[in-house]
Amino acid sequence: MSSAPSAESMRENDAGTSILARQRLNRPVAPHLMIYKAQITWYLSGLNRITGCLLSGGFYVFGALYLVAPYIGWHLETAVLAAAFAKWPAVLKVGAKVLVALPFTFHSFNGVRHLTWDTASLIDNKKVVQTGWTVVGLTVVSAVLLAFL
Amino acid sequence: MAFALRPTLIRQALAMPSSRLTTSAIPALRTQQYFLRRAPLALQQATFQTSSKRAILPPLPQRMEGTVNDAVRLPPSEPSHGNYHWTFERLVSAALLPITVAPFAAGSLSPLLDGTFIGLIIVHSFIGFQSAIADYFPKWRVPYLRKAADWANVLAVVVVGWGWYEFETNDVGLTEGVRRIWKAGSKAEGTI
Repeated sequence: MSSAPSAESMRENDAGTSILARQRLNRPVAPHLMIYKAQITWYLSGLNRITGCLLSGGFYVFGALYLVAPYIGWHLETAVLAAAFAKWPAVLKVGAKVLVALPFTFHSFNGVRHLTWDTASLIDNKKVVQTGWTVVGLTVVSAVLLAFL
Repeated sequence: MAFALRPTLIRQALAMPSSRLTTSAIPALRTQQYFLRRAPLALQQATFQTSSKRAILPPLPQRMEGTVNDAVRLPPSEPSHGNYHWTFERLVSAALLPITVAPFAAGSLSPLLDGTFIGLIIVHSFIGFQSAIADYFPKWRVPYLRKAADWANVLAVVVVGWGWYEFETNDVGLTEGVRRIWKAGSKAEGTI
């Protein structure tokens, strides 16, 4: 009888494999993200990346804008920005500072948590959950404190 | 044998009118089953899954690659992209800690220290964006977009580095700038 199909003969048998490949898309997909239990582990992990991208994104955008500001007629010097921000109503000033401080404090404290893991300490499940909630608490408290600085 | 009955069961379940108890116009009178967003009981017994079928990340076009007897192909590994990269990433992150705390303690940093701070932030951001790009634009799925994103990451380092150099030279610098804008219009303005 013929030998078992090799990689080459499988590719030659494209009609059959393409039908099989298409049939996979007709099969039901098991639920995944829609049933994954909310946990502090992956919530904080995702939040660490999101806050990191937000902070770096903002840092990058300002750096690039400051470079091209003279050519588009903008003024982004600290004197101008501080004078404009000073005119905001106090509530909006504090609100904006809280919104800017939150990603910064969270990413910093969670970064410390990550570096601790890199020393292979506090890595069992209970400690991960405890340190996770500690980071959340420290984040909120320090962000509010910074906003009133 | 049950699998052969499923299409018939599904057709029957869909033909039956939905219960009037679950479809009241008044939300308070709707049953718990309505809020769980489950299919009617008959449909639950006929289908594979009862939770939502919303297509989050649906399967991509499929492709048969080789056979089940082919050996695993491992990607090439170099310590500069593996072990040393990991260590360098942690060193940069650790170095950022004291240099971030220092302005809060001392008011603001000298231009040299401020410049180092900006440099460390840029390197840290580059590594972070590198990881995110590698995660969301895999080479096997979007090879050209991945290459473009990787080069955009490098270009950003040059542009942003130059921009913050100009800011440090022509303006007051990162830490002093943040301090001034943060304290703008407050009673503490002008103080350390």
